[in-house]
Amino acid sequence: MYQELNPLLLSQLRLAIMSYLMVAQEAEFNVLKEKTEATAGNLSAQLSKLQEAGYIAVEKTFRNNYPLTLCRITPQGIAAFEDFYRDLKTYFDAEGGQGRN
Amino acid sequence: MEHSEKALSPQESLRVIRETIDVAKRSFQENGFHFLLWGWLVVIASTAHWYLLSNQLHPNPEIAWALMVVVGMPAAFIREWFYAKKKRSSNLVHRWYGLLWLGYGISMAISIPLAVRAGFSPVPFILVLTGFATFVSGVMMGFKPLIFGAVVFWAAALWCMFLSNEQHLLMQAASTVFGYLIPGYLLNHEMRKSNVPRT
Repeated sequence: MYQELNPLLLSQLRLAIMSYLMVAQEAEFNVLKEKTEATAGNLSAQLSKLQEAGYIAVEKTFRNNYPLTLCRITPQGIAAFEDFYRDLKTYFDAEGGQGRN
Repeated sequence: MEHSEKALSPQESLRVIRETIDVAKRSFQENGFHFLLWGWLVVIASTAHWYLLSNQLHPNPEIAWALMVVVGMPAAFIREWFYAKKKRSSNLVHRWYGLLWLGYGISMAISIPLAVRAGFSPVPFILVLTGFATFVSGVMMGFKPLIFGAVVFWAAALWCMFLSNEQHLLMQAASTVFGYLIPGYLLNHEMRKSNVPRT
């Protein structure tokens, strides 16, 4: 039997944000918007949920007098993503490799 | 990419992870700038060194390598400065990549005087180190032409055993064409083809 998957990461946009940050470590709001093809409102809402869970840190700053929102994955976020991925693997192993293709 | 609030199935989760990581990796693939810059400089400097040496045109033919300091370092520095200024997200791979080539530079700075002092041509040692750094870069980027280039550098280093010190310089220039220049142009071609802006 596989572990129940983390419900916070069972959302397409939140999982996409976390996957991108696992590679990038940190990214501007606009980069995440572009890469995940999300709307600003939806992205903002999902970032807040990830921030509340402690998976990402959001830093609001300025660059050349323009506001800049920088999102960074936290060690807790990395651990949550790794656990999620491990649970997924366990699921597929239990299913006999289905979904691997 | 549509984003609904419906809970994903494990299959969908895996697909999202794979697709997004693929997007992120493509964004962070290095272009061929450094391979082309240093590649052309090595080809020109080693050929010039060989020409000055074989024709006895200069008491210190190794002066040709000043090109690396006078042209290479400022060009690389300026390019990285502009990159750092406009970058909108950081990347672990880019950091490791930078550290790898920093370590390579330090190793070169140590091994060249050691080889010269011991009375050896430094070229085979340079080729071994260059092969190593090129190999790791190729693996990190998942770019086979760089891995092939690394094999060329290592083979050239071995071949140097059968060549004179003077010929080492031509071997260095030739292996750099396969190890740096061809992969560099192919990397640029890949970047243009995928049309992914560097973030």
